[in-house]
Amino acid sequence: MKDTNMQNPKISAKGVQVYYGDNQAIKDVNVEIADKTVTAFIGPSGCGKSTFLRCLNRMNDTIDICRVTGEILIDGEDIYDAKVDPVQLRAKVGMVFQKPNPFPKSIYDNVAYGPKIHGLARNKAELDEIVEKSLRKAALWNEAKDRLDKPGTGLSGGQQQRLCIARAIATAPEILLMDEPCSALDPIATAQVEELIDELRQSYSVVIVTHSMQQAARVSQKTAFFHLGSLVEYDDTDKIFTNPQDPRTESYISGRIG
Amino acid sequence: MTHKSLLTTDARTKRRNASEARFKAYGLGAIVVAMLALAVLLTSVIGTGASAFKQTYATVSIPLPEAKLDKSGVRDLDVMKKVTTIGYASILQAGMVAAVEGAGLQTDMKAKDIGKMLSKEASATVRNYVLANPEVVGTEVTFDLLINGRIDGYFKGRVTMESAALDSNTSPEELKLAQQLADAGIVQTKFNWAFLTAPDASDQRPEAAGLGVAILGSLYMMIVVLVLALPIGVAASIYLEEFAPKNRWTDVIEVNISNLAAVPSIVYGILGLAIFINFMELNQSSPLVGGLVLTLMTLPTIIISTRASLKSIPPSIRDAALGVGASKMQSVFHHVLPLAAPGILTGTIIGLAQALGETAPLLLIGMVAFVREYPAAYTPDAGLFGEASTALPVQVFNWTQRADPGFVERASGAIITLLIFLLIMNAIAIFLRRKFERRW
Amino acid sequence: MNTHISSAYDRDLDAIQTLVIKMAGLVEEAIMSAAKSLEMRDTDLADRVRAGDKVIDALELQINEEAARVIALRAPVSKDLRAILTVLRIAASLERIGDYAKNMAKRTGTLVDMPVIAGSDAALRRMAREVQAMLKDILDAYLRGDVALAEDVRQRDHEIDQMYNALFREFLTFMMEDPRNITTCMHLHFMAKNVERMGDLVTNMAEQVIYLVTGEMPEEARPKGDKTAYVTDAT
Repeated sequence: MKDTNMQNPKISAKGVQVYYGDNQAIKDVNVEIADKTVTAFIGPSGCGKSTFLRCLNRMNDTIDICRVTGEILIDGEDIYDAKVDPVQLRAKVGMVFQKPNPFPKSIYDNVAYGPKIHGLARNKAELDEIVEKSLRKAALWNEAKDRLDKPGTGLSGGQQQRLCIARAIATAPEILLMDEPCSALDPIATAQVEELIDELRQSYSVVIVTHSMQQAARVSQKTAFFHLGSLVEYDDTDKIFTNPQDPRTESYISGRIG
Repeated sequence: MTHKSLLTTDARTKRRNASEARFKAYGLGAIVVAMLALAVLLTSVIGTGASAFKQTYATVSIPLPEAKLDKSGVRDLDVMKKVTTIGYASILQAGMVAAVEGAGLQTDMKAKDIGKMLSKEASATVRNYVLANPEVVGTEVTFDLLINGRIDGYFKGRVTMESAALDSNTSPEELKLAQQLADAGIVQTKFNWAFLTAPDASDQRPEAAGLGVAILGSLYMMIVVLVLALPIGVAASIYLEEFAPKNRWTDVIEVNISNLAAVPSIVYGILGLAIFINFMELNQSSPLVGGLVLTLMTLPTIIISTRASLKSIPPSIRDAALGVGASKMQSVFHHVLPLAAPGILTGTIIGLAQALGETAPLLLIGMVAFVREYPAAYTPDAGLFGEASTALPVQVFNWTQRADPGFVERASGAIITLLIFLLIMNAIAIFLRRKFERRW
Repeated sequence: MNTHISSAYDRDLDAIQTLVIKMAGLVEEAIMSAAKSLEMRDTDLADRVRAGDKVIDALELQINEEAARVIALRAPVSKDLRAILTVLRIAASLERIGDYAKNMAKRTGTLVDMPVIAGSDAALRRMAREVQAMLKDILDAYLRGDVALAEDVRQRDHEIDQMYNALFREFLTFMMEDPRNITTCMHLHFMAKNVERMGDLVTNMAEQVIYLVTGEMPEEARPKGDKTAYVTDAT
């Protein structure tokens, strides 16, 4: 495998192992993820890509039997250090999930919730500003500005997912994790979200898990291929898709029986 | 294999369709049987119990002579209290005889028997009125007085001329005179508010018996159950569902909670007797102890339904909250609990309804006692909900044990009251669920 | 190589490869027939070569269409993507080789009535046979994914260039000796140049095969044997 060390990585994982009970889900993953870049994790179902993604904001903490060893550094700080409170970590590392999951509250409250609990706004005017800015960044402002008090669940699937993205960026994160964000969307909504991801790259380090290799190819600059819990190959996306080095990657991306 | 025309049905398909039709018929039959059973139950209860909500009264003008009622002449209550209900009975008798004569009715009955047409409760009614308003002594006051149970039964069709002839407590002549009084407008049947407000009465006078104390007792117990079981049950459920680690211990707890829900209620009665009365020495027959016992009994129901409604909230909502950096508690209290609230409320109300109808444990802690005094919510001596009381289902049980046929009607009336309360509670549960149910 | 999960995808790729092989077979034959028709002054054979080029052109069109269909429907990546890209370029090269063969056949028709330049026909035929052998080898390399063979073919282009250089000088000499030879020699020279260009196209194909297998174009400059650009006189 090609040497993946880079200058000033945003995220740097060293020897990460994840166990569910006695099952090892992630085997010794080393990866460095750059800032202001879209990094795609691809691989067959159960390969550990989502598990690894969820390590990056410690969402795995909510699963009792899940155990993580190794080191994950964000800006040089070990996020599994005992002194780190996952709540603060998750404000810095936002997450968007597979199924659009807006809270059954108004559009405004959906976006305002994060800033409220983290105390990011001193008054209503500031909160309004954060909500507008986040919705604009998520390319939802024009569609939502006249119905901010309407429930977020009343939006279409694609709009809901963009609302979830707005909600995630409202807490001013530096990293955005996306777990198959388009798998529940139609092609048009998918294209809109992909376009949005491309824009978000200017401000955030985006890590996206996807089952669609075409999507990985379209939106990402770096691609990591996971297989059976191991990171098989990590390289520039165009390299992975034109000339992968590992036969397992080759088989997977070209749809061969591997 | 080539298929035959789709326009013909083959034998196999016919058999399949027939068995499906049979199954539907069985299901329909089962529902019909259940509905019939319900109809029979309701008809029987309403048939015998509806009349408890009506009561026969005589509107009689009673002279209140000072010579008999106030020997002191200065309205000294201590002196006036020395006149017992027996003393009042003679005054009522005179009033009744005067009313019969005033209506111009002929009867062979003796004055004493005419007086007995009134309920034994009537003299107590008049006495209480006089003691409360001493200034009326010496005047003549018109009262609505209870007629005795047999005559009341006659107007409700329970007692006939034939059965009266065999009954030492009444006679055909009495019924005939009652009929004449009714025709004259002196005796009439009115809605029986007293049934819902009056306390229980002795074996001799079913016509005076009411549910007042029982309703109050049940209400107190429901307050105790609601105040204790809801917070404890919800807190326990939230802890178990959201915070507790999933291990052998929580499994044991979970299984035990499910088992507790199936424990016969009388066991809770024994537990209450042992702990609350014998060990903690709380007052027997008090709504507090009753409420505590019912709380124990309702807790598993509330915990199970609360956990079920917490479980039904999709994990994506929790993920969403955690994902924006909410703490575990914030995610539960800001997002999960509000969504689960309708389910929790429904479960709680159903638990309360179950507690409201519970009899067995209350019998064990003495709530079956004959109580004529309205229990106070708080007294310095007995404490909060500490005064002896009874409860609706226990009152039903109690009345069905009594000899006088008038109590059969009262017991059914009490059942109707209980059913109406349960109906209202379930309606509230359905309403809350409809109103607050949210889709996502 | 493992098969695809979608067997129809494999069938599509196989079908395109079959078309390429068929096309290559026709082109090989065209090269040999063109050389033979010159040597034998066989105008019928030359006409057949010219007619056969239409079939080769049609095959190229068909390969392009099939490749476009696979790209649109299967969105090939990695090795499959390279296979499709390679097929397109190989087909284009084969088509050009076919065109050169046709051009040779055309000139044969003109040369029939002209004086024979001693030895030139046989020399052209040797050149053509060499090119045909290279084409055959490169097809083997393509089918087997044999990088070594492809590299070998790539080096052999040097020999074609040498042969062309020699012929070039020979034609110069003939033309200087007797100006009446000029027309014949010019035609023969164009034919030699055609064969030399065929060799270059075969070299391109060899590079495609290397790219197909390794994913990278050979960086090392291939030996350039055509020195005629620097020739100043026949000496």
